[in-house]
Amino acid sequence: MYLESRRTFLKGAAFTVAGAAIAKGVFTTDAAAESVENSKFTNTPDTLSFYPPLDQWDNFQELDGTDWKRGGIGRHGVQSEENPDGIKVNDYMVIPTACSNCEASCGLTAWVDKKTMTVKKYMGNPLHPGSRGRNCAKGYAVQSQMYDPDRIPFPLKRAPGSKRGEGKWIRTTWDEAMTTIGKKMGDTIRKGDELSKKSVMYHVGRPNENGFVPKVWESLGLDSYNSHTNICSANGRTPTIQFVNDDRTSPDWGNAKLIFLNSSHAADAGHYFAQAAAYIADARKKGAKMVVMDPRLSNSAGIADLWLAPWPGTETVIYLHLASRILSDNLVNKAFVKRWFNWDTLMNDSDYLNYMVEKGYVPKLPEGRDFESYLELLKDMYAPYTLEFAVKETHIPAYKLEKLYEMFIWAEDAISTYVWRAAAAGNRGGWMIGKAVFFVTGLRGAIGNVGGTGFYHSHDISVGGKGGSATVGQGKSGADVPAVKAWNELTWPPEWPLTTYELSYLLPHLLSDKEWQKKWNDRGLQVPSKLAVYAPRMYNPVWINPDGFRWIEVLKNEELMELTFNLSPVWSETNWYMDYVLPVGLAGERHDQHSEATIPARWTTFRQPVLRVALEKSGWKPKNPNRATLEAHIKAGLGEVWEENEFWFQLCTDYIDPDGSLNIKKMWESKRHPGKAVTIPEWYDAAFGDNLPKLHETVMNDERYTKEEFPVYSYMRDHGVWLEEDKIYNVQERELKVEEGKIESYEHKYDAGSVSVDSLGIISANDDKGKSKKIGIEIDGKKLQGFTTPTRKLDVYTQWVAKDWKWPEYGMPIYPRNDKEKEDMVHIVSHVNHIYMKEENSFALNTVFRLPYNIHTRSANSKHLMEISQNHDPIWISTGDAKRLSIKRGDAIRVKIVDTVSGLESGHFVAMAVPTEGVLPGTLACSHHGGRWKLTNHVTIPNGVSDGKVAPGAAPRDLSNKEFLKESPANVGKAGGQSIIDDYSGTSGINSFGVPVAEIQMDGKVGKLKYVEGIKGFKAERFAEYNRDSENVWWDGLSGSWQNAVAAPHPDPVSGMHCWHHKVLVELAQPGDKIGDIFVNYDNNLKVYQAWRDKLSRGLDSNSKLRRPRHIFRPWVKLDPASYDVNIKA
Amino acid sequence: MDEIIARSNIYALLSRILLQELDSELLETLKTDLTVLEFFPHWNEWEQRTSVSNSKLLEEYLNPDFTNLSILHLVPYETFYTRSDQMIETGGANPVTDIYSAYDFMVDYEIARVVSADHIGIQYEFMHHLCDAQKKAMEENDSEAVRDLQEVQHRFLNTHLLQWAPMYLINMKYESRTPLYYDAAETALEFILSDNETLTAVVSKVS
Repeated sequence: MYLESRRTFLKGAAFTVAGAAIAKGVFTTDAAAESVENSKFTNTPDTLSFYPPLDQWDNFQELDGTDWKRGGIGRHGVQSEENPDGIKVNDYMVIPTACSNCEASCGLTAWVDKKTMTVKKYMGNPLHPGSRGRNCAKGYAVQSQMYDPDRIPFPLKRAPGSKRGEGKWIRTTWDEAMTTIGKKMGDTIRKGDELSKKSVMYHVGRPNENGFVPKVWESLGLDSYNSHTNICSANGRTPTIQFVNDDRTSPDWGNAKLIFLNSSHAADAGHYFAQAAAYIADARKKGAKMVVMDPRLSNSAGIADLWLAPWPGTETVIYLHLASRILSDNLVNKAFVKRWFNWDTLMNDSDYLNYMVEKGYVPKLPEGRDFESYLELLKDMYAPYTLEFAVKETHIPAYKLEKLYEMFIWAEDAISTYVWRAAAAGNRGGWMIGKAVFFVTGLRGAIGNVGGTGFYHSHDISVGGKGGSATVGQGKSGADVPAVKAWNELTWPPEWPLTTYELSYLLPHLLSDKEWQKKWNDRGLQVPSKLAVYAPRMYNPVWINPDGFRWIEVLKNEELMELTFNLSPVWSETNWYMDYVLPVGLAGERHDQHSEATIPARWTTFRQPVLRVALEKSGWKPKNPNRATLEAHIKAGLGEVWEENEFWFQLCTDYIDPDGSLNIKKMWESKRHPGKAVTIPEWYDAAFGDNLPKLHETVMNDERYTKEEFPVYSYMRDHGVWLEEDKIYNVQERELKVEEGKIESYEHKYDAGSVSVDSLGIISANDDKGKSKKIGIEIDGKKLQGFTTPTRKLDVYTQWVAKDWKWPEYGMPIYPRNDKEKEDMVHIVSHVNHIYMKEENSFALNTVFRLPYNIHTRSANSKHLMEISQNHDPIWISTGDAKRLSIKRGDAIRVKIVDTVSGLESGHFVAMAVPTEGVLPGTLACSHHGGRWKLTNHVTIPNGVSDGKVAPGAAPRDLSNKEFLKESPANVGKAGGQSIIDDYSGTSGINSFGVPVAEIQMDGKVGKLKYVEGIKGFKAERFAEYNRDSENVWWDGLSGSWQNAVAAPHPDPVSGMHCWHHKVLVELAQPGDKIGDIFVNYDNNLKVYQAWRDKLSRGLDSNSKLRRPRHIFRPWVKLDPASYDVNIKA
Repeated sequence: MDEIIARSNIYALLSRILLQELDSELLETLKTDLTVLEFFPHWNEWEQRTSVSNSKLLEEYLNPDFTNLSILHLVPYETFYTRSDQMIETGGANPVTDIYSAYDFMVDYEIARVVSADHIGIQYEFMHHLCDAQKKAMEENDSEAVRDLQEVQHRFLNTHLLQWAPMYLINMKYESRTPLYYDAAETALEFILSDNETLTAVVSKVS
């Protein structure tokens, strides 16, 4: 048939019109097609990888994303001179750095467009073993922060003659600021007395670096490095310290069978979220189950296999109930428990066994002192934590607890867990929850193993402060920096000797509390009554801490804080009350060594100012190598934005101790260029090279780097990340190494000749100063590292807490079993326990959950993040409770905070109610990350654009332009070198995308805040091309409240943690109330802190010989051992 | 030589009919070219072809039918038939774009007015160009190029058009409401099947 047809079709040759004339002619073979042929681009990608191979990072071409999405080069070809309408080809240099928008330090790469010297996008770093090339919304937000139209363009100084908080600012120079600050610091340090060592205070939020600034403070001889850490996580860290003498858990999420989250952290937001969530997803793909324990239905809880909503603070009961069943069902991992629990310490402590009987913890003394008797003792002790009791105390239904037990047993020893935020941070006694977690996971052997829960210090690298060999005075790794001889009571108050990190949130209270100062001064301590210098870094204590009005009072008081400055790239509530605001860079604008325990491995990132690196790699050289980052940022059009490393190097050498008489100058003086401050390449080449042997060896065998002047620095500059050790498990099982007369434990060396072993197998040896230290434990004839506790085992029985530090009740994991015990053990009963909820409208308010897009203070300068979140922060109330109180969705409600220790009221905030099934009845949820405010929309800097400012350069910003690379601004940071800021008119907004305007009133006792104007779109002047949609703002930011200001400080009596949850009374708003209003009695708040201190803590007294147990790590600066000694007068 | 001219012309004609609505010039050809009319027997016999004015034919009969067949009710794109999710691949991952690019062809979408390069009209036009190229090679006695081009045509027919066009054309035939498109569907189907037999014979003979 078809052959026949063919003959028919042959007639086609006889068409009157030729085919070519009929055809539409849809194909083109002109320049567009040729441009494709001549390019490397294909219509379909050769690989799905986002990232080019490393060897192309310096020079990588990529098609512009916008057009690419509309059909690729198949439509318009590749842009060229012959084909101007084709898709643009970006000519990139890919520079690695690390994110700084949470603590996880995920890898980033900045894609620097060579033709414009702008960062076109931030992506992940595929070389990073933790983040594996992926980032969360906050990572990609770095670009919007970099090109934030409101970013602070140059150093600001409070206008002469104005008072703090008046909002009058002038432009100053880095030199002037450093001269004033350096002189004040130098003059204070020069006094040399004890008080002076406590009076120059640095205050950091999340440090996001490992050891650099602490080394600065150590070299200054000061004990006044302060951090936010306590308010974040002291109750999470305290149990880790007690149990294993480490800082925090480091779970092996990726290999776990049971992911047991005691909060929305890890999978949802918060610590190491993006990395942890990805590994959790990997594990679930392999069949792991996820349990989320949270009174609020978080995102994690919503996708969990089991959601448990316990009453806040009762979580300990769940764990002890599990323990009780594991013990009674004989499912204990006996091999692990016998080997690593400190059962022998307890069974040899007759006093404490008798105490346990006396207190009714156990009905009788154990029959023997052997391991089996220990297990019998545990069975007796935890038998009362029955299912019935657990249901009653926690409000979790029995069937869910049954399910939990089933999953817990099914997972065997592959249980990864986390104790952070939620239960720990919210509740008084939250630390005991962690202790119970470790106990029950330990019973199953899920500690430190594959799929189990390991610990921070084995999975972390801290070398950022160890570049000492590059300096004249520090010695290798800082060995010659003298230990600090002081103990600062403002950060480590005597009432809380076991606190974890500084009680930084109490700083304004302690400075205001003259009675407290007098009490301890009378008893022989020297408590500072003021600070000569207060220097927060990128930190916003006014908004973040409880009792914000007290912070404002103290910051405004020039007698209590004589000179203040914030190293901050963006505006904040705190900056408003500073003397100086000094803009240092964001994630892609600063150097840091940053490592975190996100996987069972030791990796570190190298954060870098990417535009500086791009310039240097293109051949640019700074005029002043000590201010290279400042010069680069001016050249790139970011303004006079510097970085901390170079700032501190030079502040120490040229401003605090210019003549070297304080012995500080030499600590930061370059060995290569004596008289000058050390440079970035010098410092980091030493910091990485001297302290990471595998990295050093790798670099020295890599011919690309061996000829470099700073080979290790160069390697890290090009890669941005390094993995020193992988798959780190069961570190306690590592045998002690003996070499050349030295015995090594946890990378410290001791005299092998001095080794001794006691009756419990604990191995001791002398350190280099001849002091005997516990270094390991002998088990089955082998000398092992063990854990770093006093018993070198897991301190389930924390003998030193019970016997030496006045907390005998809490030597073992425990929770009160009846109301009488709740009274006796009030320290570990949450201040929002249901026994305190007596009124019909009383609730436990859960405040501490993080939001996935939130960076605390710095979210508000990212339009990208504000678009996602709109700063929306309502209050969750269960549908039943809402109905009972006649509250409907969107209603404004008054939330009155009441203290359950003193009975005092703190005031109220007005919030937007959202009734939901996603919250446990009787509890409310409202993240305390809402309620940003500012007092004005704009700030005008009178001398910002006038007074002979100089252009940053003449040649167009193009990394292939030789003229551009030859230029560098002169005299940066000096009076004659002030730079013209691109498109800056002298007036700029303040966090215009995320912060509404408010009015505040305060009289020393009572404070009020009311929002007067929401967020609106505006036309951005600076970085106008990047911010071309700045007028498109559809949110007003008015649904949150500054609840932190209403909150009174609640210092946990043991850990010192500010216990964030509140008992609140809810009522409908009154006439005139608006969502966001707050009313605070901060006079009462001071009394609340005093009540918690006086009624609950067990501080130092005349019997005390030590400020704190010597074996507990005190972070940041190396303290002279004598600083721990104390003598308190009766 | 007649054969290659015929093939080229037929591919061109069919591509034009299948690609876009008719214009008056093409309609005139379709109405008057006797050879063309032989390929469209029902159209040839249709009374309205001659009794109705050209503008009315276009506006009330032919173009509404075309719109129905290629935009509203049927989907003349390869990926609609070959992807399991029946989505049209409009991006760079469309399987035909690589083969077009390999011969320096690129679709000018402003002329083609289609959403993707795998439209049936584009594929027929591509065959027309391959035939044209073969014709040129034959004129230059470049037998190697002729062979190559025949192989390419055979491959393209089998990898693309024959994989899906028959389904579309059968649907088109039964959905059509005018004799012209009924005949066009039948002819287009019959022609590629016939052409494939021809090319298969040639290619297998060479190999």
